[in-house]
Amino acid sequence: MKIKINQNKLKEGVNVVERISSKSSSLPVLKNILIRAYKNYINLIATDLEIGIKWWSLAQTEKEGEVVIPSGILSSFINFLPNEKVSMSLSKNDLLVDCSDFKTQIKGFTTDEFPIIPEVSEKSSLLINSQDLCKGLSQVSDIPSFSTARPEISGVFFEAKKDKLKVVATDSYRLGEKIINLDNKVKEDLSFILPQKAAKEIVGILGEKEGVVKLVFSPSQVLFEMKEDSKSTQPQIQIVSRVIDGEYPNYEEIIPKKSGTSIILNRAEFLNQIKASSVFGGKVNELKVKVNPTKKGLELFSESVETGEFNSFIPAEIKGKKEEISFNYRFLVDGLSIIKSPEVIFEVNGSSSPGVLRPAKETDFLYIVMPIKSN
Amino acid sequence: MTDEINKEEAWESVLSKIQLDISQANFNTWFKNTNISSIEDSVVVISVPNSFTKEWLENKYSKLILKNLKDVDKNIKEVKCIVDNKINGSAKKKEKNKKEALVSENQMELVDFSINKETNLNPKYTFDSFVVGPFNELPHAAGKAVAQNPGSLYNPLFIYGGVGLGKTHLMQAIGNEVVNNLPQKKVKYVSVEKFTSEVVSSIRNKSMEEFKLRYREVDVLIIDDVQFLSGKEKTQEEFFHTFNSLYESNKQVIISSDRPPRAIQALAERLRSRFEGGMITDISQPDLETRLAILKTKAQEKGTNFPEEVYTYIATNIYQNIRELEGALNKLIAHQKLGNQTIDEDKAKEILKKSVSTTKVKTPKKIIQSVVRFYDLKEKDLMESSRKKEIVEPRQVAMYLLREDLKCSFPFIGRKLGGKDHTTVMHSCEKIKNKIKDDENLREEIELIRQFILSL
Repeated sequence: MKIKINQNKLKEGVNVVERISSKSSSLPVLKNILIRAYKNYINLIATDLEIGIKWWSLAQTEKEGEVVIPSGILSSFINFLPNEKVSMSLSKNDLLVDCSDFKTQIKGFTTDEFPIIPEVSEKSSLLINSQDLCKGLSQVSDIPSFSTARPEISGVFFEAKKDKLKVVATDSYRLGEKIINLDNKVKEDLSFILPQKAAKEIVGILGEKEGVVKLVFSPSQVLFEMKEDSKSTQPQIQIVSRVIDGEYPNYEEIIPKKSGTSIILNRAEFLNQIKASSVFGGKVNELKVKVNPTKKGLELFSESVETGEFNSFIPAEIKGKKEEISFNYRFLVDGLSIIKSPEVIFEVNGSSSPGVLRPAKETDFLYIVMPIKSN
Repeated sequence: MTDEINKEEAWESVLSKIQLDISQANFNTWFKNTNISSIEDSVVVISVPNSFTKEWLENKYSKLILKNLKDVDKNIKEVKCIVDNKINGSAKKKEKNKKEALVSENQMELVDFSINKETNLNPKYTFDSFVVGPFNELPHAAGKAVAQNPGSLYNPLFIYGGVGLGKTHLMQAIGNEVVNNLPQKKVKYVSVEKFTSEVVSSIRNKSMEEFKLRYREVDVLIIDDVQFLSGKEKTQEEFFHTFNSLYESNKQVIISSDRPPRAIQALAERLRSRFEGGMITDISQPDLETRLAILKTKAQEKGTNFPEEVYTYIATNIYQNIRELEGALNKLIAHQKLGNQTIDEDKAKEILKKSVSTTKVKTPKKIIQSVVRFYDLKEKDLMESSRKKEIVEPRQVAMYLLREDLKCSFPFIGRKLGGKDHTTVMHSCEKIKNKIKDDENLREEIELIRQFILSL
């Protein structure tokens, strides 16, 4: 193998694939990156056996070849190199890296033991703007919590119908739903559950790029693919993940159909007061919200035996009746932080039904949170 | 023939050899949670937990696997892999859930999505999806009547029958029907287990008043698996009061159990007599035609269809339990989806071999266990030479069943039950035989025990 590539390009690639190569693993080869040089291209590959990432870049290949190199060593070293041409070649299993005044030799391994990333045969696919996808996904990707009892809710649910893609996540206490518009209608409806880790990696890797993501779905794997530009045939990044087997709960049933009391208020102010109340939230994070239509606002109250009491008032536009409901403030903070609009609608339906948060002017996002039983 | 070799054994022998050839880390990564899914002609299909393993086994280890499989059976020519996503769950390592600690116990959960929070009813159970046959005609009719007119007709309605025969389905269907037709009525479905834990927690939190209120304001109370009240005195007492207050104000109570009220051990007399005060109806085992109808309905619900022979095969071979019937069907559907293959009768036989063969056998051990369980005794009680009435009769019943159902010899039965003389056994069998001629209760008890045996 002999190949030349610019340092900043190589660094980009290594940083993309390195995030997935496991830090500790039962299979040592997973701590490595597979580097492959072939005609005009360099290809970097890493996997943790749940997710596989492949990255390509144009490069000047003088001799084809491949090697497996520890990802930690490679990435920390490449970052120190000046932004100049890097030349890499092999001597047995060692990678020789030359860049301006640096000359190094990194111990590597043969590629025999490196896992094969499964190919996803193209059955159904859709195209989506990378920014739309990653912004939407990032709004729900923190919500799931890992559950061995219910693996199906430890991932993000994707459902594409017509020209809409819904991404949904829940941890059984709250639920977020984001609707992303697609430029083209999908040929056939598709749905799958993507593991949370893969969702986060996709946000992290593709979120920095502008372009179109192609999403290819097969019964056990799903592929997210991006090209450098729309003309090239060679993909730049491919992320392959397993999908979680199981049926996602019929979540639409729990979205309250009508709201008993609807409150419109300033998001930043609401968030700020909730955070202030959290100082006195006690162990259970309980925040009491009193909806007071006559005073035209919400009263927030929290207390803890150790720290004291908190009372605040926030003006709001209220349609509905007096209510008193306790929430875990952390869940409200999460919801309000995900919503970006200046004003939010907060809908409540009594002290044992879910509350709903949504941006005031848009209808593409929804956050449902269950109250705490008040004592 | 290839069909003859035992899949588990074959795979174990392959694994034991492969283990020696490759590193421990590799072995654990690639061969964990794999097994042989089918052997057909000369092709062996291995099910693996994910696509990575599939790629790896097919590309790197197929020769090694084939070589070792050939040692087991020379006819094997090819190895294929399929991904079985279901295996994944168990393969997943346990991760500590950091969030768990921050969530207080008062935090309410989004309702288990499909289950209605206030009534606890699962909307999927309806009368429409309830298949009626001679075995459940009466409970079904009673249920329908109660759903239309809760509180006035049969109160309480007591439904009993063996496991997996549709008691819960029927009760939930009644509840759902009431919710749909009479929305102003409050319905509550609760299992005795949940009821018990609510009693315990309200004692602990000193919120007994709230608890009482919560149950006494409902219009239709549905209690599942009431036999578990056995021996729980405080819960029985609470249940008794709840029952009384509902009954007096003409609120409907619907109860299910796996045996009739008088056969529930350690149940307070006052509760028993109240259970018997309304309508008692039993669901027995479905006949062949009904089993066929059930299978077809379920298959339709799941959007698939199988050849007629497949239904007949399942229905003739699995007969004690509707849940098992459904399980067998689900298994076939899974295979159909997984391998994209059509299921014919032979295929069905192959897939269901295990579940069919194990359910059929009655053994002396199972009979004794069932008798012991039914009468709430200990196995050694039967073996002792106690002459207490509550032990003598169960012992005689056990002898009778061993003789009638298994055709055991009298001396053998005597030995099994703590070294009784064969004449004692003969006498006992004769006695029970005569007694069931007039004693309706005993006859029913023995029928239920027989169902127990089959469900073991």
